[in-house]
Amino acid sequence: MLKSLCKKLLKLLGVFFLANAALFVVFFFDLDGKLMFNVVEPFLKKHYDNMERRDVLKTPYDINKFPTYKYDT
Amino acid sequence: MAKKTLGKAFRDFWYGKPHSAEEGGRRLGELYEDKTGLLKHREWRGVKDTFYYMYMIWGYNYLHMVTDILKFSNNPIDFVKGTWRYRWMGQTYLPVIHWFERGLQGMRGEALYASAWHYRAMVSASIHQICNFFNADTRLHGGKQNDAYRHTIYANETTCGTLFYPFMDDGYQYIPMEMIPYFVTCHVNSHTVLNYIDAVQSLGLPGDPCPMCQAESGLFVLDDVPDAAPVIITCNEACDASVSTHTLQDWFADKPLFALPVPMQFDDPLVKKYCMKEIEEMWRFVEEQTGARFSWESMVKRLERQNKLQRDEWEKWEVASKTNNYPINGVAQALFRIYSTQYGIQGSFWEEASEKVKQIMYKCVQKKINTFPQTRHRVIAWSCAPLYFSNWCTWAYNCWGLNVIINMDSLMFDMEIRTDSYDHMLEDMVTYHMWAPMRRMAVGGMHHIFELWDYMERFNCDMVAMYDQLQCKGMQGVHGLFEDEFRKRNIKAFWIPHALPDCRTVSRAEIRRQINDYMTTVMHEEPLDPSLLDFDDSMTW
Repeated sequence: MLKSLCKKLLKLLGVFFLANAALFVVFFFDLDGKLMFNVVEPFLKKHYDNMERRDVLKTPYDINKFPTYKYDT
Repeated sequence: MAKKTLGKAFRDFWYGKPHSAEEGGRRLGELYEDKTGLLKHREWRGVKDTFYYMYMIWGYNYLHMVTDILKFSNNPIDFVKGTWRYRWMGQTYLPVIHWFERGLQGMRGEALYASAWHYRAMVSASIHQICNFFNADTRLHGGKQNDAYRHTIYANETTCGTLFYPFMDDGYQYIPMEMIPYFVTCHVNSHTVLNYIDAVQSLGLPGDPCPMCQAESGLFVLDDVPDAAPVIITCNEACDASVSTHTLQDWFADKPLFALPVPMQFDDPLVKKYCMKEIEEMWRFVEEQTGARFSWESMVKRLERQNKLQRDEWEKWEVASKTNNYPINGVAQALFRIYSTQYGIQGSFWEEASEKVKQIMYKCVQKKINTFPQTRHRVIAWSCAPLYFSNWCTWAYNCWGLNVIINMDSLMFDMEIRTDSYDHMLEDMVTYHMWAPMRRMAVGGMHHIFELWDYMERFNCDMVAMYDQLQCKGMQGVHGLFEDEFRKRNIKAFWIPHALPDCRTVSRAEIRRQINDYMTTVMHEEPLDPSLLDFDDSMTW
């Protein structure tokens, strides 16, 4: 019983240690930054560059559409 | 000999390498990859600070970015949809942790811990705004104007959030239209804004006005402002170029719009009176258009929290001006202050960060911790900063020992707003409104731009970093006056030319070169870290 508990605890510790070591590698070598800069940002940029956008110049500029907001305060 | 080397290696491992070249110190410039500014590896700051950085800054902020989204978003799927829809969101905010890195580079101990809390608050406030955008945006909800949309008031980013406190108890929220899509993006990823500047110039509009106005218009030209509110409050920001911005915004947004200009001659009592009337008119406009009710209780509640934040800041400034125990670096000071005073009390993020910083600061005072031990000069930074290189202060401290104690952006709203009566409140509120960013001490008249001398003395500074926004016609007009005053008063000062958000006009390398030139040719000083003198980060965020 105690032995299996110890084994489980050791396993947990091992997983905890490995997860932290992996996290440290990502952190220390700026792998998150490199992923963003080299993969994520170029991918998203391409998407935004090719996106269909409304031509806002086609919006009529009707300056009398709304009243002049003047209040007696 | 070997024992000595081993001893040093152990000390370097345990405490991190010392700062200066004389002590055989760190060479931070060698950590960068060429051009991209990415890190070959992060700096080893010693065991304690490296792991503090990893868990309490890097990991903590990644984790809290997720929990913030879950906290502020009505539906996290909207956040994903918004990221896919808006360039300023996807391209900018995913690499936000690198923004921390640039601002906190080389920091150790309490300076690292405290400055990071300012960054944390700014990230939280940004996510709050982003979620408010996406909760209400009709584009993400099949064109439907939902409850969040009906309870949102759009305003120009230099219209202070304080003005909208009376409606918040009723569930209304204020979103500064350009603060997240424009202002914050420039600090985090300076590439994004270039699309918006180019967009407005592609219409044939001239390229020489302030690039801030260009970028803010460009957001609308590229249809990249969420449709998240039924009404808009605009202002002229600090200058006339912005008036044109809002003509374009009025056209493209096509919504009921109230213009609330920030007056130029704000010392005139008649102007003040006029402006008080305009604020009341604006409140009436909001009531009429949205159905919101003006609540004095709602106003007072938030103003008192804001006043407390201001008093906390004064406490911090007292420590910054009289001791070497202030733990906030130049960039964390400036950005936290301009952001919190503009966005106002819309959550508890500013107060929480301020409390944490105060705790760290008092520990430094009690234990007499010199937070920036390599300080050679106490610097005050004046006028408007380059948004794409706001972290120049961090670089300047690491390279030259130039410690930016305070800056104009922090000092603009140096006041409390009285809450004992409606008249007092309105009188103070209007002053607060008129002291808008870039107005009071930038283009707000001779008396105010020359407040520099008083603040320099108050903060015990011996050097001025004078920003020179090349496309700001107002400040270009007083360049020579400053030169004359610097000479007359025998003040050590260097200029930092820049074009606010546009990193193509004056590069970061050029800014560094100008400071290097001043420090070598005028001050005859040697760099603390020579590896930082010249490196290529032209492609960096």
